[in-house]
Amino acid sequence: MPDYVHPEVLVSTDWVAEHLSDPQVRIVESDEDRALYTQGHLPGAVEIDWAVDLQCQVERDYIDRSAFEKLCAERGISNDTTVVFYGDQNNWWACYAFWVFKLYGHKDCRIMNGGRKRWDLDTRPWSSERVSYPHASYAAQDQDLAIRALRDEVLKHQRAGKQLLDVRSPEEYRGERMHMPDYPNEGAIRGGHIPGAVNVPWPMNCHDDGTFKSVKDLEKLYIKELKMKRRSPTIAYCRIGERSSLTWFVLTYLLGFGSVKNYDGSWLEWGNCVRVPIAKGGEPGGPSAASASPPPASASPTPAVHA
Amino acid sequence: MASVQERLSELIGEFADLDAREKLELLVDFANGLPPLPAEYEARKAVEDRRVRECQTPVFLWMESDGTATATFVAEVAPEAPTVKGFVAILAAAVNGRPVAEVASLSDDMLDRMGLADVLGILRTRGLRAIVARVKRGFAELAAAGTGN
Repeated sequence: MPDYVHPEVLVSTDWVAEHLSDPQVRIVESDEDRALYTQGHLPGAVEIDWAVDLQCQVERDYIDRSAFEKLCAERGISNDTTVVFYGDQNNWWACYAFWVFKLYGHKDCRIMNGGRKRWDLDTRPWSSERVSYPHASYAAQDQDLAIRALRDEVLKHQRAGKQLLDVRSPEEYRGERMHMPDYPNEGAIRGGHIPGAVNVPWPMNCHDDGTFKSVKDLEKLYIKELKMKRRSPTIAYCRIGERSSLTWFVLTYLLGFGSVKNYDGSWLEWGNCVRVPIAKGGEPGGPSAASASPPPASASPTPAVHA
Repeated sequence: MASVQERLSELIGEFADLDAREKLELLVDFANGLPPLPAEYEARKAVEDRRVRECQTPVFLWMESDGTATATFVAEVAPEAPTVKGFVAILAAAVNGRPVAEVASLSDDMLDRMGLADVLGILRTRGLRAIVARVKRGFAELAAAGTGN
């Protein structure tokens, strides 16, 4: 993985194929559609599901430290295990799981470049066997808030005019779409973006085969075109913090940005908050839009499509 | 002939008492059983607006009725979405061949009865609920247009 700033976090399908039985390595699949794992996974891979395993089922938060320790122990993951994540959708959920592991301080996390798609294109074997490992013991650290942004911090960051990145689709960014026709609104009352945020839809980080773009292409996108600065603190968000964890991975490890946080509350929180500023349309808007006055008239609710 | 609700109950009953892993395996079995898209629909797919745009992965649904007001539900779901595919296969098995008006009044609780919320989480089951709503609406429109009575 030449040229990336932290190439050690990315492994190829070749590397994974050689380490499928390595007791030091645990392969973890995380998918948008978890039945994919059931249907066929890498031989020996365990599954960690973002919705059922990583999220607290009561509060809107991640599982707590002790639940995370239990999760790792049950999957035979110790503190010194090399954990390699992969999945569907260009590794978007794999990056989400990677991010949660980093949140609890796991040292050696990696992503299999290209995920399920690349493994399949390489015509490598799939297995539908049930996988289990002897319990390990695991001691997690407290959440590392250097990579997680909560609402009040985002508001401060926004008011200060610091780097903000919205990785949703352009329609969501412009505020034209909050939910889909026939689909229930997943919770946001307002549409638009956080003023000052630039829009880089997350698929722009990846090639069609699911692998990450070259450092040259990524630099061109973020640094040359958008004039983002590696040294400036950056917060990325999407709808619930999943797509933005992939962008967080790209900025942090592939491009070597110094301080990137994922705002996992994302639009599902921001679009419901009272007296937070919202910008509509294709322009980022600026911190000047961040008054505590009532939201602009243009931020009126999108007419409900569903009955 | 069993009503759409009775058929659905029978299909859903298979999920009762299964653990999470077994539920997913059964869903995958259903997904594997969804017939490939008939050739005539393959041609129509290119010209008709049948894609469910809201789904990340390609899903195409046809809610139709012949002259006798019988429901025909044809679907194609991309292989990368086996959960949706399995769910759609269950719907297809329950719906096809039943009167359009009966399908339009299908109850909404099939997901709850399948116990999938614990296996899939809240956000995912919302998407599946939306598919049920879309199918029902499609047949309700046919019923309202007079083909359903």
